[in-house]
Formats: sequence, structure tokens, C-alpha cells
Amino acid sequence: MNYDLLRLGLSAPICLTWEMTYACNLRCIHCLSSSGRRAPGELDTDEARRLIDEWARMKVFYINVGGGEPMTRPDFFDLMEYAIRNGIGIKFSTNGTLIDRKAADWIVSTDYLDVQVSLDGASADVNDVIRGAGSYARARHAMDLLAERGFRFKINSVVTRRAFDQLDCLFDMARNYGAELRLTRLRPSGRAKEVWNALRLTQAQNRSLYAWLQDHPDVLTGDSFFHLSALGQPLDGMNMCGAGRIVCCVDPVGDVYACPFVLVPEFKAGNVRDSSFAEIWHDSPLFVHLRQWQVGGTCQECPAYTKCHGGCMAVKYFTETPLDDPDPECVFKSDSDAVLTALPLPTPRSIRAQKSPVLIG
Amino acid sequence: MDRDSRIRLSTTASLRREAFGALVYSYKDRRLLFIDQRLLPYLTSDGTRTVGEIADSLAAEGNIPGSRLEKTMALLEGLRRKGVLDEL
Repeated sequence: MNYDLLRLGLSAPICLTWEMTYACNLRCIHCLSSSGRRAPGELDTDEARRLIDEWARMKVFYINVGGGEPMTRPDFFDLMEYAIRNGIGIKFSTNGTLIDRKAADWIVSTDYLDVQVSLDGASADVNDVIRGAGSYARARHAMDLLAERGFRFKINSVVTRRAFDQLDCLFDMARNYGAELRLTRLRPSGRAKEVWNALRLTQAQNRSLYAWLQDHPDVLTGDSFFHLSALGQPLDGMNMCGAGRIVCCVDPVGDVYACPFVLVPEFKAGNVRDSSFAEIWHDSPLFVHLRQWQVGGTCQECPAYTKCHGGCMAVKYFTETPLDDPDPECVFKSDSDAVLTALPLPTPRSIRAQKSPVLIG
Repeated sequence: MDRDSRIRLSTTASLRREAFGALVYSYKDRRLLFIDQRLLPYLTSDGTRTVGEIADSLAAEGNIPGSRLEKTMALLEGLRRKGVLDEL
């Protein structure tokens, strides 16, 4: 992959994340968007459709839809179908609690729709400490419904110290379902900032994870672990921070951020209620800056620089690490450089009762 | 695929021009491809001209040497096998 092809930005994002809502019936302790309550002033259905229209004009190929729990929006199905009719593929992320038989039938019958169900452990005792009592069972039920219908979904798992020894079990689970496994890096974003040091991997685990990913090339990572590419043969993917270059995020109220992991004012490029998305993408000062910027400092002298390009900006930001410094989990750092704790974890709230969204048609 | 082949972008693919050429996305298998600008005249063809006619026209304009045709055909065949191009 040619880094320079991507570093200067593209005519439209490749990885556009749309956090449709902050409403959620779970309270995962590591939620990157600190979701739970619906934000006042969410884009309404018409505004959302106009945004989709603009993405279609820009030839955005697909959007990653998340939240919160996107299925809590009453217009969820309507908007997904609208996007697909306008040539935009959908990859949506869900906790699975709202996938009943009818929703599963809709998923299976809808073309160009990918689904990833979140699960952060291969057993309830590991998963539910992070995602809430009963969340494991509900996610598995959703997976059972999709698998019964022959639908190839993804299991998305944030890799934590608690669940690290279950990677093989998660892999087997996905294989038994005929599903794909996708692993995501835990970043100290949102609520995860409070639990990062208790849940992040040790450096030894990071090295093991790299080897495990090399042994399991079919496991997806969404470029989450590109900081580990410095260990040797680069992992598949862009291996760079794509913020503002190939990646951006639109939040429920239309704020556009450089990355879904840094939903903070410093990385906000604009709002679609004030400017068009295209104007923000092409001309916002923040994105123009990011396309000219590279991680400097000691990283540029590192022989592994071309493999990781200095690591993840979000992890640096929330650990108050200067952006020109190495990633806080740089593979060349030792655990003594890190602050690993075993604090008691907060207890996530139980699943809130949620009325199922209206399925159109 | 040969000089007389007529090709067109598949209806299950989408092409977006970029500074380096284009990005092509295959909705069928979710594959994203980076396309060099030298292949653009072929991928944006509406199928009315053959591959050979496109190549000859590029060579006449000095935009691409005729000697590249064999390599270009191999690339186009690869894209056809990936489902990105349809041979008409």
C-alpha cells in the first residue's frame, strides 16, 4: 500500500463513520462515544436523507453506521434502505439486543448490508463485566438468528486484558457461526479513558497479539493495530493514521470529526448544518492541516517508521501524549513505561428496555 | 480478453476518480481497488470501442506506448475475473 497515495487525502472518505445516535440501551464501560442518552438536536430524518444524498453525489462507496445503538432510531431501517437505494453500502455495528426475527429477516433480505455484532468476550462472565448483565446472551441470540438464516455477519470484539486468553475461543465461535471475526484496539476514548489502564493489553500481550494476527490472516482488524506493524511484517491495511485523510466521523448532531475515536473540539472540522459535508471534507482547516502533517520527533528516525507512521493519534490525545511522540503502546516501549492497573472496574448498567424500531414494509 | 474485446465497468462496481487515477469499489465482494490513471480510459469505457481501439488511440496521443498493451490486457483480465469489469 502506497502511503503517499493516501496521506494527502482523497476526494471522499473511504472509512466514513456515521454515529447515528448516542441513544443506547447498554452502558458499556469502554464506550468510545460515551453513549447512553440521546443527544438533543439529533439530525432528523430529512436532514439525514440530505446528508446521504450528498455522500451519494460524492461517490462515498459505503458508510460505517454506529452510535450508541443505531437500531434505537425509529427511522433506522428507512435510512439504511435509503442509503442503499442511492448506491451507498452499509456496514452497521450493533449490540444485537434489538435483532429479533423480523429484523434478522430484513438484514438477510437487504443487499449490500454488512452487520457486525459486538461481543467483548467468549463467555458471559468476561463479556458482561464490560458490556452489562445479559448482553452476552442477547448478542448470542442475535447471532443465532442471523446464522440460522445463513447470513455471514461479523463478530466485533474490543481486545482487552480480561478477554485476551479467549481469542482462540472467539475465533472458533466465529468459525462455527460461519462468521468473520473482527478485533478492535481498545483506545482510551469516551468512557474507556477511565478504564484504559485496567483493561489495556500488556506489551507482552501486544506482541502475542501481533503473532496471533499473523497466524490468523482471515481475522479482520480495520487497521486497528497498525502500531504493532513495527514488530515485523506489516499487518494488512493502511498502516497509518487515516484521520482527515481517508477517515472521518459524523456524529448524531452533524458535527464532523477527523476520527470516531477523537470526538473532541480540537478534532472537530465543522457541522453539516452550517456547511456542506463536501466543503468540510475538502476545505476545513483541520483536514487540510492533517493532510500536510506527519508524526515527527523521534518516530521519524525509527527504522520502523514506515510500518506504523508513529501510531494512533487518539491514543496519544487521551493519554496527553504529544502528537509527535511515539504511540503510548509503541512496541519498543516496555511495560515499565506504561501505567497498568488492576483497579476494580465500574459496573455497567443492565440492558434498558427498548421498544423495537418500526420496520418499514 | 483480446484486442477486440469490449469492456465496461460492472454494474456492481463503482469508480471514483482520484489524483492517482481512481478508486474502484466492488459492492459484490466489498473489495476496494486502487487504479492507476493509465487504466482509466479502459475502466471508463462505455463499451463502444474495443480494447485495441482504446490502446491505439492512447498510443497515437503519445499517452501510452503500444508496447504496454500486453501488460494492460493482463491487468484488465484480472479486473474482469474480480468482477469489476464486464466483457460485452
